[in-house]
Amino acid sequence: MLHILQSAPPSASDAALRAMFAARKSVFVDLLKWDVPVLEGRYEVDQFDDLNAIYLILAEPDGAHLGSVRLLPTMRPHILDSLYPGLCEDVLPRAPDIFEITRFCLDRRLRAAERRAVRDTLVTALVDHALDHGITGYSAIAEMGWFQQILAFGWRCRPLGLPQVVDGAMLAALRIDIAPDTPGLLAAAGIQAAPAIRDSRRIAA
Amino acid sequence: MPYSGMAMQLARIVETVGNADELAAAMAAISVQLGFQYFALSHHVDVATAGDAAIRLHNYPRRWADYYDQNALGVSDPVHRASHVTSIGFPWSQMAAMIPLTPGDLRILALGRAQGIGDGFTVPAHVPGEARGSCSFASEAGRPLPQAMLPLAQLAGNFAFEAARRLWTGRGGLLPRPGPALTDRQRDCVLWVARGKGDWEISRILGISEETVARHIKQACERYGVNKRTLLVIRTLFDGTLTFSDIFRRRYAPFRA
Repeated sequence: MLHILQSAPPSASDAALRAMFAARKSVFVDLLKWDVPVLEGRYEVDQFDDLNAIYLILAEPDGAHLGSVRLLPTMRPHILDSLYPGLCEDVLPRAPDIFEITRFCLDRRLRAAERRAVRDTLVTALVDHALDHGITGYSAIAEMGWFQQILAFGWRCRPLGLPQVVDGAMLAALRIDIAPDTPGLLAAAGIQAAPAIRDSRRIAA
Repeated sequence: MPYSGMAMQLARIVETVGNADELAAAMAAISVQLGFQYFALSHHVDVATAGDAAIRLHNYPRRWADYYDQNALGVSDPVHRASHVTSIGFPWSQMAAMIPLTPGDLRILALGRAQGIGDGFTVPAHVPGEARGSCSFASEAGRPLPQAMLPLAQLAGNFAFEAARRLWTGRGGLLPRPGPALTDRQRDCVLWVARGKGDWEISRILGISEETVARHIKQACERYGVNKRTLLVIRTLFDGTLTFSDIFRRRYAPFRA
């Protein structure tokens, strides 16, 4: 089930949101050892998790987290302009119709085949969300191993600057253009939503 | 070189290159712009047996390429092996610190130098579910690596591999073939095989009979069409049914309550 949520985390009572923040802690803090804040020892929540953030969350019917991603409006402070402006040699992408993709998170419980299905469903959800809401581009920062996968999704990408080693990881910023033909590009690259994962949609504000 | 010109050039290559010859020409030009002489885009498989399904594009001297193929170096190439232990580009001079190099590896590197291939820079390209690959840039023997260009070479490698991948996908070479799925119990048994346990040990660990363990493993072998447990383990690692961290990380509990 795809949830599209926009909410402030401290007051959020929604199970899907809480499960997402817990999954993010498990992936980004416990597994990837990112140095980011943890609330109550369980939830990874940072300064960008505020009312302006939008979350696409894939969850099981009982709310269990499968995968999620956070979108930040580029007209407000976001990760590329606030934390890693050096990764961008072009003009920083900053427009009402450009959002930054952050915290792309696949649940650690997933096995390889499920992981891939959730990943592909989340990528198609990103494109559908953009087309539904007039978003024409995404910016993102990726570690190099993940960068190659992002290119392989088939959408139009270009680098925003040279890769740099930051705290031991090599990162690069990129821009993804979203247009009416993007769903077709994804499909041609074999990226399809898994109906079982995405059988209904709920929008909360 | 101005960065933004190169960035647009890379994006354009992915979107507009229509065939392998055009990609080879574009890569030869980019290699020179980056300060290298040679490039090689490849899937890490034995090209002689994989045939057209595997990506392979390079401008190495013909004699070296022929020798490489005749000796099936695509699977044992130390450069390729080193690229499997990292996700970022590395100069070949660092390989000894990344993987154990056998006398045979050192011989291959020396032979390459004798053929005029000096130091190089290899960008790993791993797309889950597909054969691993890489994009290498190499200098003529005796010329130093263009250090200042390596970050651009990293990006160029990522984009070039994707450009090649799209061309080869168009040929039907890379379309994902769904592998056989194991049952959870079969997978549990294969996991313990990978950890070096025999049937009796696995039966004690999982609390099932030794005959049942043997049957699960035999059926898992049948699903993959292999007749040896070693091959079964390798195939499950390759397609992601098992991961190296499953095998090495003991605190991972494969059978959740």
